[in-house]
Amino acid sequence: MDIKKALKDFWYGKPHTAEEGGRRLGDLHEDKTHLYKHREWRGFKDTMYYFYMIWLYNYIFMVKDVMVMGGLVNFAKGVWRYRWVGQTYLPVLHWFDRGLEGMRGEAMKASAWHYRAMVSTTIRQFQRMFAADTRLHGGKQNDLYKHTIAHNETVWGGVFYPWDGEIQNVPLEMIPYFVTCHVNSHTVLNYIDAVQSIGLPGDPCPMCQAESGIFVLDDVPDYAPAVVTCNEACDASVSTSTLQDWFFDKPLFSLPMPMIFDDPLVKKYCMREIEELWKFVEQQYGIPFSWEKLVKKLEQQNELQRFEWEKWEVAGKSDYYPINGVAQALYRIYQTQYGDWEIWHVTDKKVRKILEKCVSKKINSFPQTRHRVIAWSCAPLYYSNWCTWAYNCWGLNVIINMDSLMFDMTIRTDSYEHTLEDMAQYHMWAPMRRMAVGGMRHMFELWEYMEKFNCDMVAMYDQLQCKGVQGLHGLFEDEFRDRNIHAFWVPHALPDSRTVSRAEIRRLINDYMTTVMHEEPLDPSLLDFDDSMTW
Amino acid sequence: MRDLKHLIYFENLLQEANNDLVKQAKADGKRAIGYTCYFMPEVLLDLPGCFSVRLRAPRCTSPDIATYYMSARVCHYARSLMERALEGGFNFLDAQMATETCTATCRFQEHLEQKHIDSVKDMRIIDNDDFFCSFSDVPFKNNQIAYEHFAEQLRVHVLDELNKHFGIDVSDEAIRQAVEQHNEVCRLINEIGDYRKLDNPTITGYEFHVIQLVSLVCPKYLILPYLRETAEELKTREPDLKKEFRCKVVLAGSENDDPDFTKLVESCGARVVCDRYCYGAVESRQPIELKEGEDPVFTIAKHYLVTSNCPRFMPQDEMRARKQRIAELAKEYHADGVIIASNKFCEYWSYERVIDTVILKRDFGLPVCSIEKEYINSASGQLRTRFQAFVESVEIKQIQEGK
Repeated sequence: MDIKKALKDFWYGKPHTAEEGGRRLGDLHEDKTHLYKHREWRGFKDTMYYFYMIWLYNYIFMVKDVMVMGGLVNFAKGVWRYRWVGQTYLPVLHWFDRGLEGMRGEAMKASAWHYRAMVSTTIRQFQRMFAADTRLHGGKQNDLYKHTIAHNETVWGGVFYPWDGEIQNVPLEMIPYFVTCHVNSHTVLNYIDAVQSIGLPGDPCPMCQAESGIFVLDDVPDYAPAVVTCNEACDASVSTSTLQDWFFDKPLFSLPMPMIFDDPLVKKYCMREIEELWKFVEQQYGIPFSWEKLVKKLEQQNELQRFEWEKWEVAGKSDYYPINGVAQALYRIYQTQYGDWEIWHVTDKKVRKILEKCVSKKINSFPQTRHRVIAWSCAPLYYSNWCTWAYNCWGLNVIINMDSLMFDMTIRTDSYEHTLEDMAQYHMWAPMRRMAVGGMRHMFELWEYMEKFNCDMVAMYDQLQCKGVQGLHGLFEDEFRDRNIHAFWVPHALPDSRTVSRAEIRRLINDYMTTVMHEEPLDPSLLDFDDSMTW
Repeated sequence: MRDLKHLIYFENLLQEANNDLVKQAKADGKRAIGYTCYFMPEVLLDLPGCFSVRLRAPRCTSPDIATYYMSARVCHYARSLMERALEGGFNFLDAQMATETCTATCRFQEHLEQKHIDSVKDMRIIDNDDFFCSFSDVPFKNNQIAYEHFAEQLRVHVLDELNKHFGIDVSDEAIRQAVEQHNEVCRLINEIGDYRKLDNPTITGYEFHVIQLVSLVCPKYLILPYLRETAEELKTREPDLKKEFRCKVVLAGSENDDPDFTKLVESCGARVVCDRYCYGAVESRQPIELKEGEDPVFTIAKHYLVTSNCPRFMPQDEMRARKQRIAELAKEYHADGVIIASNKFCEYWSYERVIDTVILKRDFGLPVCSIEKEYINSASGQLRTRFQAFVESVEIKQIQEGK
């Protein structure tokens, strides 16, 4: 036994690559369930940090947050009543493990803080749902119910800023569907099956199917007197609202957004519709619009955006960016879609410290990077951590992704007109709208961002049931060829892991890396494994 | 019944987008303006100097190249149009007045558009130097804001463009003239269609489908004489003594420009008495009422939003009114049941069909046959079985009710 090497491995963790002896991350897991045989040894310092500051810290806060934000009784009732929370609360730390596997040092720390923020915001939302839910309170419409507004998860939370502190907006599907299928991919399948059982074909967007299925199974808390729906991102979203209205039967405001939004006339229209929404909220809740609150919240949101730009600057121009692909994508889409909230600022403060340390000390958190990858279009929700695997296995470092880039703007607050104009723009640049289902020219902003982030490869998500992206499939193929760009397609069906399994996604990437790129894996133990039963 | 004099001629006109009447109008020096969706007001494309052609891709069963560009998981209608365009079948078009009203047709039309940007190549699918494509935004709602917005879109993206590129007269006077012509087409189609309300209709659903389609794809001024003659002919047409059908149905649903589909339904014992689907007459053949002193563009914009029953409308009252509308049509046309057909991969109608299937039966007591179909109806054996079973079930219901 090489004592010196053993001590080195103990202190620093095993090296990444097979040539150096290799940490063989694929051997850590049980077959099928992908549960740990034993936890990953990341070296002494990082293992201790992971245990205390990630694993234990987050477990403690998952209890504390529940107690502070609505109480244990409401939580217990909610777990008993709603399948999605019961099935996803305990695997949360497994979700951390999947996304942070193999991460070391600053990358592990910064990425974990992003996860922590998402967990906290999730708890806050479902606890509000449960605390206001008439179903958990004997049919009673309590004060929280009267001060909560429900909306499609694709409605930007910022449109409710004028009522900050008085009306709490809680998206209908963000927790029951969107967050849960990241944490436990099995939960959502039940909802997809439910809506198909009443006759819906299998081909519409599975995200919308799942969002409808929650209603079919009556698995949505009744926590607000009014609802705001939206046609974002696609035709199926419009139709989902129709189905939701049928089940929900509450006063409803539909907030439209155009597909092709480069027309100033369209922006004007959108501005007027946002004002109509504000009138609707005033009418339904009897609470006046507050310009001061709107400005205050927007300025706070702008602060978040400005830090994001700083992060992008580091990501694009150096190797010192300490956030992995999955943390970057999920945190950013959560933050921008939900809108300003205190936890984002707390997190950004911590991440800024790490970022500044990485830049000043020239710490490369992803030293085995072989290709700088940009991920484009909509990601597989059941395998958002594919990029963690891709880095560990192949050295494919996902620097940035489409979801992070959509809301690439701050909002002016110097006048009502400017604010409204920018809010309309922000609303129209909603997730998936701008660069997936929206106008063709925005889909092809890819090249511009590729250059900006200094990427040499594209991971092209191929959401099989997204008509907007499928409708441009051939043009992308043509452009990749004409521009001589290395691109691999990642087929998937958003939340539905049955259509294209995680193993199939890995196989396709493996094939590309061996047959097209002629490269050898960094960690061969990750090439092929069975995780079909994992969360 | 005696055959309609022009039926075969009409059928022939539907075999190609660039049919004889289109060629004749082009030879007359008129500009051919394509469109796909009801929301693009055809009346504005029928201004003096140009004519509208609602795009179809008849007999396109294998859109291979389009499938490369748009994948196999996009609506067959959009892919068929793309294939036909790639084949050169739409080269006669001088412009495409596009709408983003559904994702699939929007993507098809974006392929036609010459964008002149660095990030993506222009395919120049339409081999015509004059050709251009202009997109209009269509609101999802029926309110004053939406009417004003849509009117502005039509002014800027349709009328101004037609004037700029082809010098088309877009004055109020010219618009009124086009509306007059449009209303005559509507009057004739409605007159012809009203025979379907008779106890023993003197026109079949198939015949009406063909007539309605030619009114959409041919230059109005050239098809009008034939429509007039057909309307006249129908005044004296005698029905068969013995009814050739066992029940009457409303055919509702998504895009349908395939008269053979209607023929298939009717061959199974049903008579299609009402056509509430895209390309049908229920929406598109309602006359436009222009009042003195009113802005005609605003009136037209409002007309097309108000008359549409598209599942694309999002407000609560609209979503609920659509079911009511189908039930009212069933009553008005004395239908015994409703067939709801959605094209595969049509997201709007996939959902709408599910809800209609439940609501129409539960709240209005209407028997419903719910089917999913392709653009070109190739699975006729399976569909035939479904329709036959539906007709039988309606008959059994009638027997049980003592009718």
